[in-house]
Amino acid sequence: MSELRPRATSDNAAPGDSQWPRWEVLKQDNERKAHQAVGSVHAADAEHALLMARTVFARRPSAVSMWVAPAACVHAWTAQELEGHAAEAVPAGPAPSEPGAASQRYFVVRKSSNRRSMTFGDLVGEVAAPTLEAALARALSEFADAPILALWLIEADAVVRSDPAVADPWFGPALDKTYKQQSIYSSSAVARKDAEEGVPE
Amino acid sequence: MSEDPGPPLPLTAAVREALIERLTALGDDELVLGHRDSEWTGHGPILEEDIAIANVAQDEIGHAVLWYELVQGLGGPEPDELAFTREAAAFHSAGLVEQPKGDWAFTMLRQFLFDSYEAELLPRLMRSSYAPVAEVAAKVNREELFHLRHSGLWLERLAHGTDESRRRLVAALDTLWPLLPQLLAPLPGDAALTVAGIYPDTSELEGAVMQRITGALERVDVAPPKAAAARSEPPDRRDRSSGGPLVALLAEMQSVARNDPLAEGW
Repeated sequence: MSELRPRATSDNAAPGDSQWPRWEVLKQDNERKAHQAVGSVHAADAEHALLMARTVFARRPSAVSMWVAPAACVHAWTAQELEGHAAEAVPAGPAPSEPGAASQRYFVVRKSSNRRSMTFGDLVGEVAAPTLEAALARALSEFADAPILALWLIEADAVVRSDPAVADPWFGPALDKTYKQQSIYSSSAVARKDAEEGVPE
Repeated sequence: MSEDPGPPLPLTAAVREALIERLTALGDDELVLGHRDSEWTGHGPILEEDIAIANVAQDEIGHAVLWYELVQGLGGPEPDELAFTREAAAFHSAGLVEQPKGDWAFTMLRQFLFDSYEAELLPRLMRSSYAPVAEVAAKVNREELFHLRHSGLWLERLAHGTDESRRRLVAALDTLWPLLPQLLAPLPGDAALTVAGIYPDTSELEGAVMQRITGALERVDVAPPKAAAARSEPPDRRDRSSGGPLVALLAEMQSVARNDPLAEGW
């Protein structure tokens, strides 16, 4: 395996940047769909990031849940960067205990298509491994059922989720509003209808 | 409350008049606050908050339309006419929402105070005996819960942020605190509405709002100003004898509609 150089998605922040930290946002359109990476927000802290995520990404289109994670806790690779990295199958049964190395959980986001304009990738599952390198190998093995154009491993402990108890005031009002669909900008559509029929991507 | 309230009961002329006054005040507060919030568009402290305050502005203006439509339903003018053709003297908005937008601390504290007021008012209005009021209150309340979360978040962060953020918050409170009594004061017709079960008892409402606000300030270690209001608004929000910032606000907000009332230029 060649040298592994994960690139946190926050690497694009210039030194001395006066912006607040950046957070990646994952949005779930409805209970049947996976969370999808929709973009990022700048925010002072996790709670603020969730509110900004709702404001920027769920004002009109439908949503039932949102996650945010500090960009520094999102490790990202492109397909080119992954070339030459071997997938490593997860051994059957419980992972062998490795003394001194606590297992870290990561959520796995995979980009499998270039045809989407509104989302970057889908949450496809999670892996646990003592090191980031081992987690990547497992992810490459477990999630090989579709092309990997880009892969994220998000430190699971860093993810902050919207409270299901407030899902209605957060996401409900958007369902009743008319808004412009980016892909069909000349016509207006109602989100509730989209939620039933599926939004074209 | 009955299972099916059915069509609203016929109102006596006096109650109908009082209801139009109160609904106009509810709509005017929302419209004027929404316009003040909209003045941040393109000037927010960061892009995300710029979008957030524009969203809040749009929500508040949308709520104004809902209250104005009830006025229209009672035989009053249509919403556009209420918003764009009335002189300042005919507006029933409170001084609290009319103040210039100030800095971010002022805008967020004002929003917090207004959201706290609505957090007590709207659930009471949802139990109104006049079904159209109860329906609109439920719709508005749904969006206000998020507004309060946003402005409450800023109250905490301004109070516990830096010396400067706290200083700005306290300065904003000094200006806004004396304006609360007028926001919460009854209109002359409110008593008749309360008897009819249409509008809550205003002194009970005032107590609940002030308890909510003082509790929130206590939790962030900010004391309400002790000194009596140095500069207070007239107790009746409809008293326009002293002019005030609403005149300039309307001059801008209504300029397009007044230039081209039928919007034929479009």
